[in-house]
Amino acid sequence: MTQMPMGAVPKKKEEKMKLFRKPNKNLFRQMKKNYSAYLFLLPKLILFTLFVAIPVVWAFILSFQKYKVFGSEFIGLKNYIEVFQSDAFWIALKNTLLFTVVTVPFGVISALVLSTLIFELGKLSQSLFRSAFYLPTVTSMVIIAMVWRWMYNYDFGLFNYVLGWFGVGPVNWLGQSNTALWALIIMQCLIPFGVGIIMYLASMGSISQSLYEAARMDGASKFKQWIHITIPLLKPTTLYLVLLSTIGSFQVFTQIIMMTGGGPGSATETLVHLIYKTGFRDFDFGLAGAQSVVLFVIILIFSVIQFRVLRHDE
Amino acid sequence: MKKKPLDRLNKFIIFALLSIFAVVSLLPLYWVFSTSLQLSSYQSMDMERPVSYVDSNPPKMYPMGIPLYFEHWKGEREAKKAGDAELEAYHQAQMDHIVSNTFGSFKSLFKKHDVGKWFFNSLYIAVVVTVGILLIDSMAGYVLAKKRFPGRNLIFWIIISTMMIPGQVTLVPLFIMVGNLNLMDTHWALILPDLSMVFGVFLMRQFMYSIPDELLEAAKMDGASEWRTFWTVVLPLAKPGLAALGIFTFMNVWNSFLWPIIVLNTAELYTLPVGLKTLQDANLASFKLLMSGAAVAAIPMIIVFILFQRYFVQGLTLGGVKE
Amino acid sequence: MKKMLKKSALAAASLGLAASVLAGCNDKKEAGNADEFKGKITIWDGPRWPDEEENKFHWLEAKIKEYEEAHEGVEIELVQVPWAEMGDKLGVAIAGKAWPDIAPVDISGSAVSIDHIEQGVIESMDNYLDKKEKEDFYENALDAYTYDGKLYGIPNSITLHSMLLNLDLFEEAGVEPPKDGNWTYDEFLQAAEKLTFDRDGDGKMDVYGFSTYILPGYYEAWPFFYKNGGSPLNEDMTEFTFDSPEVVKAIQDLADLKLKQKVAPETLGGNDVGGTFQAWANEEQRTVAMEPWATWAIGAAQGAYPTNFAVANYPTGDSKEPVTIGGVGGWVMMHQDDANKRAAVADFMKFISTADEQYHMAQHYGIFPARVSAAEMDPFKDNPQMTRAMEMSDQVVMLPRHPEWRKIDEAIQNELQLVFNGEKTAEQAMADAKKAVDKIIK
Repeated sequence: MTQMPMGAVPKKKEEKMKLFRKPNKNLFRQMKKNYSAYLFLLPKLILFTLFVAIPVVWAFILSFQKYKVFGSEFIGLKNYIEVFQSDAFWIALKNTLLFTVVTVPFGVISALVLSTLIFELGKLSQSLFRSAFYLPTVTSMVIIAMVWRWMYNYDFGLFNYVLGWFGVGPVNWLGQSNTALWALIIMQCLIPFGVGIIMYLASMGSISQSLYEAARMDGASKFKQWIHITIPLLKPTTLYLVLLSTIGSFQVFTQIIMMTGGGPGSATETLVHLIYKTGFRDFDFGLAGAQSVVLFVIILIFSVIQFRVLRHDE
Repeated sequence: MKKKPLDRLNKFIIFALLSIFAVVSLLPLYWVFSTSLQLSSYQSMDMERPVSYVDSNPPKMYPMGIPLYFEHWKGEREAKKAGDAELEAYHQAQMDHIVSNTFGSFKSLFKKHDVGKWFFNSLYIAVVVTVGILLIDSMAGYVLAKKRFPGRNLIFWIIISTMMIPGQVTLVPLFIMVGNLNLMDTHWALILPDLSMVFGVFLMRQFMYSIPDELLEAAKMDGASEWRTFWTVVLPLAKPGLAALGIFTFMNVWNSFLWPIIVLNTAELYTLPVGLKTLQDANLASFKLLMSGAAVAAIPMIIVFILFQRYFVQGLTLGGVKE
Repeated sequence: MKKMLKKSALAAASLGLAASVLAGCNDKKEAGNADEFKGKITIWDGPRWPDEEENKFHWLEAKIKEYEEAHEGVEIELVQVPWAEMGDKLGVAIAGKAWPDIAPVDISGSAVSIDHIEQGVIESMDNYLDKKEKEDFYENALDAYTYDGKLYGIPNSITLHSMLLNLDLFEEAGVEPPKDGNWTYDEFLQAAEKLTFDRDGDGKMDVYGFSTYILPGYYEAWPFFYKNGGSPLNEDMTEFTFDSPEVVKAIQDLADLKLKQKVAPETLGGNDVGGTFQAWANEEQRTVAMEPWATWAIGAAQGAYPTNFAVANYPTGDSKEPVTIGGVGGWVMMHQDDANKRAAVADFMKFISTADEQYHMAQHYGIFPARVSAAEMDPFKDNPQMTRAMEMSDQVVMLPRHPEWRKIDEAIQNELQLVFNGEKTAEQAMADAKKAVDKIIK
């Protein structure tokens, strides 16, 4: 069976227990004996402490402060209250949720379907399509957003030109509240989920052929095999992909700042863009800190739910 | 085994279907290159005013310079045959104009804007971070996978748990931190936080697990020091993992946007994505110019991808290996 | 009785004297001594006009060199920041306490706000400019850098917004440009209607009369909203007043150019600054005949985007007076711990803000000098378009200087975007903006 890629670590039971082992009497001797291990870890630990650990703790502290250039002051839960009381936050949350709820299932399902199709082909075509679908993923979102902004252009854009064939439009894609967010969603859906395709293909390759043979003997159709063998066995990969793309989608930012700036009105305001604006345009670092802590909690809740639901019968 | 004709037909349909999707997914990238080479000003004898194919409606799907150049080339030959020197000169001038206009935006990118510098900055930072990450993370991953020492699990879980925290959470404190360390508006402000990313530790630890303990034992028996064992035994065995991590790190750093745009002030220090955004913001950049900049930023990643495709796949599916 | 009065007057006078001596003493200590400073001064600047080698920082580089040669031990570092990023970058730097010593911004709230002054991030210049020196500056220029009676910075330029008319398109459509650049809104509308035409007869308009964009921090469209009178906030900045009937009507009028009269492209009121400029200025496009821009665009249309154009006032409405929105550029000094350094920084700021320098900058860079003596040197002798724009100086109104202006501005501009894409009427939008803004002001 496939391991959840990059997910859970292969761990033997005894190892897990060690975390809870009683402190050893000769702890110091142990540490001394293994000093070289600590030396190997040292560079990463220093960097990690300085640029990850301290900032994480600090972010939490900041969220209870009113930031001032000379000396911040603690204001308790005020920032959190402001987060939940501001319309901007709820609008951003709603937009981000809509974005996530549409793009994540679409991305994962389309990756599953595409990789199933690709898997049917010969080796050469497999690697050809794998590249074709992954190539857009290695390009910076800045570039992709620049092109799409142009494709959505009212006067010269490709979309309005194609719509013209059917006698529809033109549509002011990024300029109207009711289309702007959907334009970004469509864009996200049409950027192939390259990571997903590659991982599904790899996982499909490691499913034992004997399972399919047995199913064929029982006279199961290809579609039935897919439903009853492939999909269940791909579940760990699916779980990983859903988690990965949900986290990514909650952090959608580059498209926003490059294409709409959150507008028109606040039609495309998302959580991370709001955090960016609060922090680096209004310089309300305390409020931005509170917003990001809330974002973290939301992502955490989503991850736990997905983990529960998708792992359920494993 | 003989293939059934139905099977072949199926495959053909699948191939055709996938091809359509592939074209759709590659279209934006294609358009970057096509537009960067699009003819932005052209006026033939019978035209009242010059036209631009960059923002024409309907959009032009390929650089118009190609067919037009060919046309004038034919025209020139015919004029030569007919002995019409004036017409020949006209066609010659048009051909020259088409060539210089087609590649003009690349020329002005490097001449008038700082794109050459931005390119170098991006490259330099990406290389430094990649090399650093490979060394630091493989060292950490190695001991976390292969050594038993007090605090090992604790350290590992603390490091891994921060992977769950979205980068935006630490944006503000990291920023204040970088300010306090006097690193604002320097490349170190990009390099150091990038070197602290934890993903590589996790990936390398996963990879190091697959190295047989016996080999390490053998090296120890031969009296090799820890460092020697790591350098001569572990690292060579970890090459595929290193390749995968290296490529991902390079790609992430090359494409990173949010953090550089916050900490870099001086235009000279910009990386390519940040520079591209300022180009888009400055009202004076035409779309052809923007797309030329985008092409310059995209080409290295495409080359890296084509050259090291195998490792991309490997890196993504690492851990997908059977236990 | 008389005696006592005299006495107390004397006492009061002597007390006053003592106080002023004390204050003077204090000031002197605060003011520091520039000559005693040795060390590094950091200055930010954006690209200005190019020399032969396309170096757009040559002016300040030359001044720095000159200053360093005259002041041994003083090193001045120039950080080159693009203008479009200046406000955000400086704000970020202040928040991260990594500010430069001198920055080329105003205190209107785009980069540095009243809030920063209250927090002590900006140094006052009162100790370094005496009354006589101040008199050489235009009053509105000084006002823009004055808060609570103190001067924060040295103004070096005045910019404003004006209507730019593409004369080739006017000629093609057979429209007379407004005489001396004065016109009413009706005249403007008539011109816009005639300037909207289908050149090749394919049923689609090739040229539109007017366009502009709506984006937080940008005010090209705003003078249109002032045409019947009114302003965003009331005098003491306690109330949102952009929902008054005359403003609402003015907003709706401008949006109707696209929604009703169809003399503006679909992108009117969008967020694409670059695209809007290209549509007017790029010779490959030229699809819009009239657009309002800040004065930098005059320079661009004379240089990088050679265009046959004229400068005109914003059209007048019910108030009959032409109005435009302007800004004052200049240098501000950021917080200093060392009094001697403070003095040295001030000295350098004055060094690059002399009348000669402002004259030089006005000539090359398309801005108006903030010093009367520089303007009297007539920097735009050979530049009728800049001369015309400079005439608009007395039409300038300033935006409210509220500590939270950035947020207020965003709330208003977000609603304006919705008016221009036809989702809300101006009345609805401004009623909604009032709710949001009143919340911020409270």
